[in-house]
Amino acid sequence: MTAQLRSELLKLRTTRTMALLMLGAAALTLFAICVEGISPATGKLAQEQTQRELLSAVTSGVLFATFAGLLAVTSEFRYGTIRPTLLIEPRRRVVLMAKLAAAALAGIVIGAVSVAVAFGGGSAVLAVRGVDFAVNGPHSLELGLGAVAVAALSAVIGAAVGALIRNQSGAILALVIYAFVVDAVLFAAIPSLGRFLPGKAGDALLGRPVDHLLAPGAGAIVLALWALAFVVATTLRISRSDV
Amino acid sequence: MASVRAREHRCVTAISAIELTKRFGDLVAVDGLSFDVAAGTVTGFLGPNGAGKTTTLRMLLGLAEPTGGRALVFGRPFAELERPATRVGAVLEAGDLHPGRSGRDHLRVLAAAARLPRSRVDEVLALVDLTTAGNRRVAGYSLGMRQRLSLAAALLGEPELLLLDEPGNGLDPEGVRWLRDFMRAFASASGTVFVSSHHLAEIEDTVDHVVVIDHGRLVADAPLAQFTAGAHSLEDAFLDLTTGRVS
Repeated sequence: MTAQLRSELLKLRTTRTMALLMLGAAALTLFAICVEGISPATGKLAQEQTQRELLSAVTSGVLFATFAGLLAVTSEFRYGTIRPTLLIEPRRRVVLMAKLAAAALAGIVIGAVSVAVAFGGGSAVLAVRGVDFAVNGPHSLELGLGAVAVAALSAVIGAAVGALIRNQSGAILALVIYAFVVDAVLFAAIPSLGRFLPGKAGDALLGRPVDHLLAPGAGAIVLALWALAFVVATTLRISRSDV
Repeated sequence: MASVRAREHRCVTAISAIELTKRFGDLVAVDGLSFDVAAGTVTGFLGPNGAGKTTTLRMLLGLAEPTGGRALVFGRPFAELERPATRVGAVLEAGDLHPGRSGRDHLRVLAAAARLPRSRVDEVLALVDLTTAGNRRVAGYSLGMRQRLSLAAALLGEPELLLLDEPGNGLDPEGVRWLRDFMRAFASASGTVFVSSHHLAEIEDTVDHVVVIDHGRLVADAPLAQFTAGAHSLEDAFLDLTTGRVS
């Protein structure tokens, strides 16, 4: 398992994909910070509530983390590298677990990049606007650690979905449709159901001040259950199918 | 010690297909195929396109599940081998390389999973003459370079058995000769090679034994001399068998 994990981490470090996703996460986070930091009036921006909304740019990394997991798995099927991988380690569950662990670590790194850019960029924007940083320690910690946890779990879900769908374009399309259509539409139409979706559970975990969301603890549990469900489904499939 | 013991107890049969069958829906790709490959030989695996050669190799390597029968390597299903990379190396037709990764990194990734030292990566790169090109991304490789890189990957664990699926594809004449010499040298160092090909002429000088299949069924399993007896060449014997003509 450790040898396979080392191999999976080396895979992530030896193509440009991870670097591009980290760059993308950093850029989107910075963009969100700039937009949210420039528009509010100075008085409003001094309020803790507004600043917490500003710092919720930490979630910008989540989609990139999901893509990191998704691409780590689907690229193996796209380029056929899954075959040499399985010739060296034929126990498919060992390969899958190593991949999921590597995806989680990739998610943590991307999440941490977003958190660093959000807090660094946020502080800079507030300083430029001449406003003091008003988010207290516990809330900052909740946002920072929460964003990293959501990114890690999302990367695991991305990897599991990638292993289920296998086709790279199909998996990317499915993720985009989910993230930009299903998640938003279902939550808007039937919030009592939509709040149990992984995206909304992640928002809840971060303690975002949006109506109808679950409590942060419940959000964390629901998101972890989603990750577990996808991992179990993938484990059942990968041990049987031909590659 | 472990490897000495492994060699003492090595089965004389490197590969066994026993009533091996694979169906894809209504299509029967491999149909009750049985044959053995003796250790220490170079065996050619012949058949027209679509005969089921690649499917058979994938089942032998544990990549595809047989619908029926058994595919054994050293008397066991591939997935039950201990550290399979040290016993079996394989080059599959597609190449199976990430274009954005360098050749050297491709080998490092596999060496890490197989718990092999970094030095093996440089050794196999030198063996297939990719030492300088190894630092370049695979996207810039020719087909022949990809084949050589795949062969280097198969050799990482110093296996006893090589399964090669159309390894001559994309090689220039010099590369084909190099491959032929390599297979002979590998076999004379008591290795076993099972090589599929449609380049019949190139196989003829290399193999000791042939297994011929058509429509997923065995049509011949014989030493080369016996197989080609009465025909002008391997190609004639092959065409006679696979086109249903009686010579």
